[in-house]
Amino acid sequence: MQSRFRSLERRGPGLRLCLVSVLCLITFFCGCTAQASSGNSRPTSGGPDGHSSSVAPAREGHPAASQRVTFIPEHLTLRGHGSAEVQPAETVDGLLKVPENVQHVGWWDGSAQAGEPFGATVIAGHVDSATEGIGFFARLRSIKVGEMVTLRAGSHSLKYRVTSVRDVPRRALATDSQAFKQSGPHRLVLITCTGHYHRDRGGYDNNLVVIAKPRGMAR
Amino acid sequence: MNPQGTNNEQRVGEQVLITKRTARWAKLAVLAAGVLALAAVTISPSYAANDTEVYIVQGLPGKNLDVEIDGKSVASGVKTADVAGPFKVKPGKNTVTFSENGNEVLKRTFSVKDGGKADVVAHLPASSSGDPLVTVYKYEDVKVPKGKAFLAVSHTAAVPPADIQVNGQVLFANIANGESLDLTVPVATYKVAIVPSGKKKPVYFGPVSLTVKGGAINLVYALGDPDKKTMNVAVHVVETGKTGSDKPSEVNTGTGGQAVGEGPALQVNLAR
Repeated sequence: MQSRFRSLERRGPGLRLCLVSVLCLITFFCGCTAQASSGNSRPTSGGPDGHSSSVAPAREGHPAASQRVTFIPEHLTLRGHGSAEVQPAETVDGLLKVPENVQHVGWWDGSAQAGEPFGATVIAGHVDSATEGIGFFARLRSIKVGEMVTLRAGSHSLKYRVTSVRDVPRRALATDSQAFKQSGPHRLVLITCTGHYHRDRGGYDNNLVVIAKPRGMAR
Repeated sequence: MNPQGTNNEQRVGEQVLITKRTARWAKLAVLAAGVLALAAVTISPSYAANDTEVYIVQGLPGKNLDVEIDGKSVASGVKTADVAGPFKVKPGKNTVTFSENGNEVLKRTFSVKDGGKADVVAHLPASSSGDPLVTVYKYEDVKVPKGKAFLAVSHTAAVPPADIQVNGQVLFANIANGESLDLTVPVATYKVAIVPSGKKKPVYFGPVSLTVKGGAINLVYALGDPDKKTMNVAVHVVETGKTGSDKPSEVNTGTGGQAVGEGPALQVNLAR
């Protein structure tokens, strides 16, 4: 669950700027008051010891205009291939529980938010399922280096450019591919299944891992 | 609230079984348990509401400060870059007084909302020739994934707007005295340096190693005056809740085989 603080911090730049300017104005006026009363003379009005109403207010700290936007993705668009709703996905007994609706994809809730400076934003989705058929991420089977992926949430967005597409044996995903690494420069990692399908086991050999790099900062 | 109520109710049950004469007492006991439960329900929110608290961050170089909140001494001899607290305060307006050897250095009012948390920082203004001031940085519990830290840096030093370099790159840009910036970062030890906005020199502070604490809010205050070689940082770590699940060991996102033309045919055949 996101705290109030986080939701406050994750507002759009417009709102933030607006907030900042209001705060600046307040700070400016408070600053004047502080200046007036912190000079040579003690506060002149108020109680006997200069207590009560004459004490100047402290300044309020506020975010700088360059506060970075980060957001939990809610929509993913593969340019030219449509978009899908993104839902938070939890790891249960080692398995990432992606949405059962194969037209939706899942953001691993332990991974980076879009726009963070470090770590992978991990989004996984069904290539297909026994009950619902072909999934949205079946489109990843034809994605190519250089294609654009956009993450969005409300008014926020961040574009990524695909830099690598590769198959990783499913058992090696966690150890070999560094798909889940939360250090290093920020990147988007899209995961689905690929390779040979084993009807007897009801699963594929490999994971398809698509890595995309952010184009600038999140807005 | 439950243990007391449950005990009473259990006792009530036994008494009723033993003899009907005690039935009236039992009713009273049930009533009492109910009242207790109700009392507990009404008490707990007001207790939470009392949790309005502040920490004092001493950002003035070369001073050991005594601190009063609303005329009551809360800390004495707080050294530069030390963080003292938490101190419970009343919601709304409070007054903080910093003094040294009985001489008042700074006195300001500040407001904290009911249940709110804040760092009350005594520090130098952007220009070292100016008077010291008090800035209040409010914060709230931010949950972070395991292995990550919420890092908020605040500029409370006698320097113009600055960039904060982390591992040689500007991670927090153009931050002025009284401002702050925040990010979630992986737990690690970072090399941190403070330089003028958009420049690499002169280095106001650092590089120093800063290890951030995971599952916590890390509030970092840059303080002091580079001209007097008193630049330093105060670090206030607040443990918060964690969010997010562990790293997966497996992603199994293909259970039908339709994407390779394997799945539905089987189902259709079986259905026929």
